[in-house]
Amino acid sequence: MKIVLYLHLHQPWRLARFRYLDLGSGRSYFDVDRNLAIFRGIAERCYRPTMDRLLRALAEHPEFRVSLSVTGTFLEQARLAAPDVIDRLRELYRTGRVALVGETYYHSLAFLVPPPELSEEVRLHREVLRKEFGADPKVLRMTELAYSDDLARFAEGERYQGMLAEGWEGALHGQPPTHVYCAVSAPTVLLLLRHYPLSDDVGFRFSSTSWNEYPLTAEKYAGWLAATPGDVIGLFMDFETFGEHHAARTGILEFLSALPAQVARHPHLGWATVEEALGNKPRAPISVPYTMSWADQNRDLGAWLGNDLQRSAFEAAKKVGVLVQQADDEGILTDWRKLLTSDHFYYMYVSGHGADQGVHQYFSSYESPYDAYANYMNAMTDLRRRALDRLGVPILK
Amino acid sequence: MRRRVPRAAPLDELAARQGARPGEGEFHRLVRPETAPRPLHIVLVGWEFPPHHTGGLGVHCYELVKELTKLGHRVTFLSPFPGPFTPVDGVTFRHPGDATGGTPAEYPPAYWEGRTPDSPFANATDGYNVWISKLDRLGPVDVVHVHDWFGTVGGAALAERLHRPMVMTVHSTEYDRSLGHPWDHILARELSGIRAATRVIAVSRHLRLQLVERYGADPRRVRVVYNAVRPTDRLERIDSTKRVVLYVGRLAAMKGVDTFLRAAQRVVPSFPDVLFVIAGEGPEYARLIQLAATLGIGDRVMFLGKVSDEEREVLLSGSSVFVLPSVVEPFGIAALEAMAAGVPTIVSKTSGVAEISTGTFRVDFWDVEEFASRIAELLEYPTLRRAMGEMGQWEALREGWPERARETVTVYLDAMRAFGSGP
Repeated sequence: MKIVLYLHLHQPWRLARFRYLDLGSGRSYFDVDRNLAIFRGIAERCYRPTMDRLLRALAEHPEFRVSLSVTGTFLEQARLAAPDVIDRLRELYRTGRVALVGETYYHSLAFLVPPPELSEEVRLHREVLRKEFGADPKVLRMTELAYSDDLARFAEGERYQGMLAEGWEGALHGQPPTHVYCAVSAPTVLLLLRHYPLSDDVGFRFSSTSWNEYPLTAEKYAGWLAATPGDVIGLFMDFETFGEHHAARTGILEFLSALPAQVARHPHLGWATVEEALGNKPRAPISVPYTMSWADQNRDLGAWLGNDLQRSAFEAAKKVGVLVQQADDEGILTDWRKLLTSDHFYYMYVSGHGADQGVHQYFSSYESPYDAYANYMNAMTDLRRRALDRLGVPILK
Repeated sequence: MRRRVPRAAPLDELAARQGARPGEGEFHRLVRPETAPRPLHIVLVGWEFPPHHTGGLGVHCYELVKELTKLGHRVTFLSPFPGPFTPVDGVTFRHPGDATGGTPAEYPPAYWEGRTPDSPFANATDGYNVWISKLDRLGPVDVVHVHDWFGTVGGAALAERLHRPMVMTVHSTEYDRSLGHPWDHILARELSGIRAATRVIAVSRHLRLQLVERYGADPRRVRVVYNAVRPTDRLERIDSTKRVVLYVGRLAAMKGVDTFLRAAQRVVPSFPDVLFVIAGEGPEYARLIQLAATLGIGDRVMFLGKVSDEEREVLLSGSSVFVLPSVVEPFGIAALEAMAAGVPTIVSKTSGVAEISTGTFRVDFWDVEEFASRIAELLEYPTLRRAMGEMGQWEALREGWPERARETVTVYLDAMRAFGSGP
């Protein structure tokens, strides 16, 4: 049984307040200083200490493996805010026991807009990984772990050998998530699945004092891993789990450091990168005719495109995209792609009501989903005007 | 950064965003609304009462006594004015000049005239207090509940004579009404009420904080009970060639109507189909008309003067955006009424309404550009208008006067226990 620990690193380019009255002002949509300040804070609390601990664990435990995905927007911000974080990533990759995973450069919803946007963004990401790390990923993940039969076909076309997906019962039909599967639509693409109960024990529940397993020790957790039958266990989570979602005082960093030694006490357990895990023979083909994600009870795209605000904003982005593709202007194209980052749509999520909204606001950089929508639409409206202007089309309001 | 993680203590975080201090959490939630073990008799020391009212206080008292009597309690409502009073079952109205003697005050009261101790206004309130302090034949009383400063002195004397606790509800403060230039005559009465009251009710957290910081109130004695609106029959949305951005409220300096007009000036060039409508009267009326003309938007702003409740509902049903730009707004019931009518609403951050709504835009009262942008965004994006209208309506109506009355009763019981008189 191999444990595949996969951690996702991403920071979006959050928008500045771009007022309706700012339309046509030439102001930037993005608040670079604020984004970098946020990045520096997270680097201090999470990226540096966690990467240092991973490096130490790799040095002390030759069998230990980690897989990482790093978005292009993350790297852009790291370069400006904390270049030493990139140095640490390079150091991790140079151990030869860390795999990097491909995805869209902008952590975007490009898979929902007309081609060739998706392959462009995946190509951009491939280029940045090659340039920064000399890496050439064999495994692809989509934003928010989105997966469908169509996306598997896309991965096959782009010559990826594997994809990551949620180990969701709805797609597995009673089969365990602890095996490697293949896509029914593209049998050469192997699927590595997230074991969500074990992933969420760390990602969500670790610091929850009301959890009946609290506190979770590395020893206890290794015991659970050892008791899980199958070939692979996919522990997929945000890198920010360590030190950010769960603060250092919760003991999450010590937990991570202690895990390899505790796992080593179970002789049948081992570690694998996502690429090493592709060596397993696929157990069966899997069919997912809709788009599955790793969020929500429904594991769909509801958190990004579930309400009218989100759909309206995304429709606007798609329409403007048509103009942007014709405008042939690097600045306009880049801004549009940054606006396609999934986080912007997440900020427009309206949860149940009242206090729940507060819980879900944790990840938001806005006071409310309405603020998020209005701001986004202003930026998109401005971008549309810029594109039209570039195309020489008179702007009718 | 994309998965939804349930956090351990989000309420404190939320409360902090809304201006509460650490640990205060949802302090305004009276942990378990209590039911009185027996019917109470409350002497409510009021001021205006429908059909006459100029602000939130009269409406608050009307809705409160209605719900209190529904809960089985008895209310004696005191007013300096001879009425008429909209009758409510279980409520006895008493005023100077009835069988108990004294001289009634004239209605409407001249709030904004004559800030001298011998002005007709001061005389009327003084007479009211003397009358209250001498009031008898009330039968057994459980709580004397004073609203704002008008009857604090008389109410405190009455409570002391009856050996009963006094509860004081503060709807707004003299500091705020005077934009920082309080009249000491009124300030003294506010202070004496806050000191004499066993429990104080503030209509928002913001106001509660002010009572603690500026009036030296003991935070443990100050509770928050928000205002509410009563659901009414919704009128059909009115379609017209002009779209309306609406303000309803008194035209006083603290209401920030200047900001509304300056924002209008920024919006009108982009939206030729939009009309800015101001409904209400007050001391600023003439100056605001002048300002609209000076800003060059005289033809885009309509001043309606005072409107009736029915007219206001019609106005709301035909409005695209409601704006409450107040410099100071302890609660802001007009905004809650707009929300209840499904009109997307922009409020200033300092208002009480801002504390209990997420489906509104909340703007710094001085930020003309932001008000203008928010108005324009609502006019421009129909999906936003619809979504905020729906959320605002839900938030305005999820709790109503019945809940507020139960919270008030809980404060009564708390006061009675603290005073040692019951329940």
